[in-house]
Amino acid sequence: MSVWILGLATSGHDPALAIANPAGEIVFAEATERFLQDKRAWGIAPDHIGHLAEALAETDFVPGRDTIAVATSWASAKAELKRGVHDAMLPAPDTIWMQGMQLQLQESAGASLLRLGLASERPSPMRFDHHLTHAVTACYFAPTDTAACLVIDGEGDVGASSSFTMKDRELTREWRSWGPGSLGTFYGWLTQMCGFDWRLGEEWKVMGLAAYGSPNPELVENLKQMLIVDRGRLRFAADDVLLEIRKKAQEFGRRPDEPVEKAAVLAASGQAAYAALADLVLGEVASQGHSDLVLSGGCALNSSYNGTIAGRLPFERVFVPPCPADDGNAIGAALLGWMKVYETPRIPVGNLSPFLGSRAKPKGLDRLRKSAGRGLVVCELDDGDSAQVAAEFLAQGKILGVMRGRAEFGPRALGNRSILADPRSADMKDRINALVKGRESYRPFAPVVPHAKVAEWFGHAQPVPYMSMTLPWREEAASTVPAVVHEDCTGRVQTVTSENAPWLNAVVEAFEGMTGVPIVLNTSFNIMGKPIVHSVEDAIAVLMTSGLDGVLIENTLVTKPD
Amino acid sequence: MNAHSITPEVQSFLKERLSFYTKMDQDKIAQDADLISLGLQSIDAVLISGEIEDHFKIELDPSTVFEHDTFESFAAEITRRLNAK
Repeated sequence: MSVWILGLATSGHDPALAIANPAGEIVFAEATERFLQDKRAWGIAPDHIGHLAEALAETDFVPGRDTIAVATSWASAKAELKRGVHDAMLPAPDTIWMQGMQLQLQESAGASLLRLGLASERPSPMRFDHHLTHAVTACYFAPTDTAACLVIDGEGDVGASSSFTMKDRELTREWRSWGPGSLGTFYGWLTQMCGFDWRLGEEWKVMGLAAYGSPNPELVENLKQMLIVDRGRLRFAADDVLLEIRKKAQEFGRRPDEPVEKAAVLAASGQAAYAALADLVLGEVASQGHSDLVLSGGCALNSSYNGTIAGRLPFERVFVPPCPADDGNAIGAALLGWMKVYETPRIPVGNLSPFLGSRAKPKGLDRLRKSAGRGLVVCELDDGDSAQVAAEFLAQGKILGVMRGRAEFGPRALGNRSILADPRSADMKDRINALVKGRESYRPFAPVVPHAKVAEWFGHAQPVPYMSMTLPWREEAASTVPAVVHEDCTGRVQTVTSENAPWLNAVVEAFEGMTGVPIVLNTSFNIMGKPIVHSVEDAIAVLMTSGLDGVLIENTLVTKPD
Repeated sequence: MNAHSITPEVQSFLKERLSFYTKMDQDKIAQDADLISLGLQSIDAVLISGEIEDHFKIELDPSTVFEHDTFESFAAEITRRLNAK
């Protein structure tokens, strides 16, 4: 009998599950929102019965032969502590609401195993420190044995940042901050002030909008005063100080019904303040003397900042996992559970693949093939031809949805659940924003570049396999691919190789062969407000209800009739 | 738990920090003083926990300070964790 570990992200937002096999390999990981097609899946159990059953079916787990232990991504249940809620930045009802969900999910974790006949009594989950689960997840995806590891988050079991050292794959905590003081909460507040909604995960919009404004020096200084950084530990300023700064920021803010441009200066100033404060935290971490930095926590989604770290601060290499936010903690919980059950202090080394989720179901594909002649053109491609055909499709100016292999774990589409397009025309960005994604015109799209060529096109060139960093385009290159050049002449790049993303790498190579440009536009296969597609039916629904020209599901190309 | 199980270092550090947050003279903080009655806000209790972790290089749980509601009990728990290092 072998013990498998079910890791659950139990924050209450962005639930997810991960499964570790007895060898300590993560064999499956997926956010609940994908299965349910409900953005952020607030309050849903991460071991949702239908999702868990599907996930287990994707593995070699054998009921009766194997058993499952359960692990969660929090040591505590915040609502049980009955401590006061800090409400000087975000409204108390939001925090109380989230704490209630976290309590509920911590208590119910693993109960679905009863319903699935995989447990005879209610499981007693192993509970792990929230930031430790972030750190272990990040180290699993870090190709290094020794590094500083920093978690900057919205919150944690005791505070919102934690510093660790990984030595020979063993993690030791250096320090953690206690109490209110959170760059994640700061950015959430900034999101609201810009007229967006952090509860919808709209921090992205602030980052995108920041490129359209210039930081106001006085406002930046004020915003920086909202947080006190003491030896890396973060603490919010006194409530009266926060109130005063909030009033000053108000004049730069925007109501949701006002034009977005109105908040551009605030967005740029907030991003600049974030960077200055994060620099202070990283400065403390740098004093440990490590040249490698592993960065995680929700704030590690700040790709604009991430891209500026290596070389500017005393770190040579920066590793950000594909899943630095709370969904990713399912992996950390599963691995910590595995380390406990199998009595090892060493974090296993992953194979670095983010492709850990579901595959397209054969039944869905069969139904799709039968729909040929009912308005869709269905064409079966040879496996070796599909990259070439996809590249030709793009070079013709067509927009292609791709659903191949296993889904990515984390928020970024990295070629397996992506919409791809030709980045050479200036209007491609507007076409996709308006006709496919249904989102705002100011939001940028990402470029895919072969790793070997990233330095030809970008400054601060470094490997970015998970699209976690924004880099500056080289001036002479930017005019070639305007659809993936943001207003501030940057791009949130994905670097591909024949190892880390073989098919997408082949598409880019074929596209270069046809056009002379080794760059393809890549955005997530979804429409605004919905999660990335999960089923064949989801993919076809996007095709039929948007300006997509075709979808490639495995090697089945489905197009609209000309 | 009693005063004998509290090290002098813990005693003086904790009194100094409680005095800082509650604005009460250190010598007026009795061994059996209830932390909340001293005027310690829950937010300050959390901050003190972080300061104790940093100063003594021990690990506290988020609930530790709330589970030990008197000065003596909390100080003894810190001492216990310090000795267990």
